[in-house]
Amino acid sequence: MLLPVVIREVQVPLLASMLLGGCAAKLAAMLRTRSAAAALGPTVLFPMGLRRPVAAAMCGCEFVLGVGLILTAGQIGRGAPADAVRLGTALLFLVATGALIELRGSRPDVGCGCFGDFSTGPVSARALARSALLAVAALITVGLPPLRPPMPGVAAILPLGLFAAELAVIAMLSPEVGEGLIRLGYSEPCELRVVPAARTVTALRRSSVWRRHASIITAAEPVDMWRELCWRYLVYPGEANGRPVEVVFAVFLRKHRPAIQAAIVDAASVPAGPAGLAVTSADCPAGDPARTRPLVRVPAPALSALTDPGLRIPAARGSEAADLPLSRDL
Amino acid sequence: MLDACADHACCGRCAGAGAATAARIARRRLLKAAVFRPADAAAPAGGSRAGGSRAGGSRAAAFAACGDLPRAITGAVIDVSPHFLVLSHGTGQERLALTPDATAWRGGPLDPAAVRPGDQAVVRLRARARGVADRIWANIGRVTGTIIERTADGLVVDEGMTRKRQLVSIPPRASARIQVRFPSLEPGYLIDVIGLRRSGALEALVPATYQPAYRVRQLPAAGLPAPALAGGHVPDAISGSATWHEPGDEPPGIAGLGYPAVDPEARCAEGPGPQVPGNLRLPYLSIGSILLVRNDCTGSSCALPVNSCAAVGRLFNDRCVTCGTSPRSRVADLTQASFVALGGELERGCFNATITIGG
Repeated sequence: MLLPVVIREVQVPLLASMLLGGCAAKLAAMLRTRSAAAALGPTVLFPMGLRRPVAAAMCGCEFVLGVGLILTAGQIGRGAPADAVRLGTALLFLVATGALIELRGSRPDVGCGCFGDFSTGPVSARALARSALLAVAALITVGLPPLRPPMPGVAAILPLGLFAAELAVIAMLSPEVGEGLIRLGYSEPCELRVVPAARTVTALRRSSVWRRHASIITAAEPVDMWRELCWRYLVYPGEANGRPVEVVFAVFLRKHRPAIQAAIVDAASVPAGPAGLAVTSADCPAGDPARTRPLVRVPAPALSALTDPGLRIPAARGSEAADLPLSRDL
Repeated sequence: MLDACADHACCGRCAGAGAATAARIARRRLLKAAVFRPADAAAPAGGSRAGGSRAGGSRAAAFAACGDLPRAITGAVIDVSPHFLVLSHGTGQERLALTPDATAWRGGPLDPAAVRPGDQAVVRLRARARGVADRIWANIGRVTGTIIERTADGLVVDEGMTRKRQLVSIPPRASARIQVRFPSLEPGYLIDVIGLRRSGALEALVPATYQPAYRVRQLPAAGLPAPALAGGHVPDAISGSATWHEPGDEPPGIAGLGYPAVDPEARCAEGPGPQVPGNLRLPYLSIGSILLVRNDCTGSSCALPVNSCAAVGRLFNDRCVTCGTSPRSRVADLTQASFVALGGELERGCFNATITIGG
């Protein structure tokens, strides 16, 4: 059997298993949290009212396409029905790739939700590559004749080997594997991991985000550094267009190639005294629900603004976080 | 005379920094919001748990506004009559009405009019009548920590690197009651007692919990076998026991809490600290992080900032039994004002609580 044909044939069971696996993981997350929106990352791109139906539709699509791929793999549904299912699968993964790119830009704190609450890390280039790879895999199955079971013996080695190899590639592109190991107890969740600050600083300084901001940073050491859950924040003083600024980096606490985000804040807008929060009040201070709203990163290509000679960084009004002047980068 | 201040090394990042801590909290929240901008207010409760990547919480909507909670006032009693109580605090004086159903505590139940001028009082006001006192605690104090010395004067207790050492005396009338719960009043053992403040020392009257059977030195180092987590994940909401602590170097009346798992890199806790067998490890946070704290006994809830370390809290493996048994040990060490505002009774020492990491 020709190698290209074997490669195309291997994609069908692989795609079906990915789709059904993703659907099962999402269903498990939904059942556990009793929320259709649980851990389904891209649904946050939709208006509130649509999130639940979109989450259910995503799961339903994956199930239908996964089952469809299996049913139309052989003689049943050969021809147009099989091609329709495979085209639908390709379309799903193409749309998913686009959604992940959008999610990465607008909500970098949200996971992709591809495999339910296994997919809780920020959307990485690996996740994008996986989605694109699966779209290509689905496209090359269009027009494939009905699959036949592999011949027993040595002839089965080639398709099985290709299947295993591609599965290994997908596993390497899947951050969920690490999450699975956490579930098995082989490693700690990042919220509990003791990560030395020096390691975070080293990772930051090796990043492209740092290099892009290095020209405006005026001190070698951060003026403040703190950690919340899986993120460590580092604040460096800087100067942009003659005005003092503070460059804030958020570094995701993992060993290799951590996600890093940055923002530039007018130093004058950051309170120098205890005026920002009424923490000395006898009343509970942080009662405003707006202060504890979920966090979203507004898409704003800020780095270009940094190089703009007309850069204006207005001062924040009061202490409202939402009013902060900022420019951001991923 | 015992020197309770020896070796006291309070770092500026933790308790005692006062206004500096408040400024730091405000500053960090603003800077964090610059990186992760708050989303639309109408986000669903429990909607977007980005799990390991979550940069903030999303469940504020399920919590009542703190303004709905009763207010707590801390100050010195200036004058008292059967109908009025006048308190002096940092910003002036406050005159509070006393109704027949108001209650007081000073080592035991007391008529509110029996509170004496000069007493340091914590007063909970009624939620809907803010000028009316509901509950008064006079001269109440608490010491939680490791006994480091026992002398004829009493006990010297270490409350952690960020707090001063405390002197505890146990009067004969309370000795039996305390020793039922704390049979080993020897160096190395933990103690947690509530009583009356008298000239810098605490006169212990009520045991706040029961004594763990282990010495602190016997605890294994952290990082060794981690206790199992539900599903391998740090849960979104963590239920346990919420205790309280005295203001110490903090401004009286400050709202907030001490968190038992402040990032070891903040240099205000004693490193990762020992791991108490059976205790769930809490996710690491820092000064300025926001926790949504719910009193499971009353249903009151409030978002509070972490403004101090509570490294001693994680040494205990006790349960709060104010309303049922808390599923695990201490998850928050509230300031007096926050504990009272959330409906806690100071002399009981704790309430069953659920914390959720906020924004």
